[in-house]
Amino acid sequence: MTKPTQRIADLPAYLSHELRNALACIHQFGNILVDGLAGKLTGEQREYVSIILENASTIRSVLDTALDGAAPAASKIRTKI
Amino acid sequence: MPNKKILIVDDDRDVQQGMNLRLKANQYDTCLAGDAFSGVAEARRSEPDLILLDLGMPAGGGFLVMERLKMIPSLAVIPVIVVSARHGLENQKRALESGAKAFLQKPVDDDQLLAVIRQTLGEPARMKKPALCNQGVV
Repeated sequence: MTKPTQRIADLPAYLSHELRNALACIHQFGNILVDGLAGKLTGEQREYVSIILENASTIRSVLDTALDGAAPAASKIRTKI
Repeated sequence: MPNKKILIVDDDRDVQQGMNLRLKANQYDTCLAGDAFSGVAEARRSEPDLILLDLGMPAGGGFLVMERLKMIPSLAVIPVIVVSARHGLENQKRALESGAKAFLQKPVDDDQLLAVIRQTLGEPARMKKPALCNQGVV
């Protein structure tokens, strides 16, 4: 397999690892703030953190959909080469 | 009754810190390791009740940790929950075949993580959300 083809085939795994780790941190610390584990938030602060969490969930859904589709496609590239 | 001790093995310091805070807030004692080698060493030193294990790490990764744990009788009995950012059923299957009690994909919902931990430790459920499973992706 050529280097560029290998890179394309490895992209879903790379993206999954890097983006999911970053999302895990956003979720973990967002929930830590909302749950008051780092001190009590005002109503407004809670609302803002909730918006961050909702959007992180949206990114997660997009990732799940995109990567679930990308992994079989990448393995087809491997098989073809 | 003393708190149960959980070893977190993850090379991402932020993930480690977040899990640590959440577990401590739920009355668990914790110990930490940032790679496969120190994960096994820390398991030997602290003899935890459960291990939360990442897969993609320096010095061998999570599968190597599970292999090493199996070779040491006192550590082979410690339940392992894999918490990984890796995608695909392949990793899930391999983790469960390697002896993991569950495979959770990051980002993990806190309630689900705690539910799976309690289920694995045989503790009564206390969470708002029920544990969805103990032998597969949550």
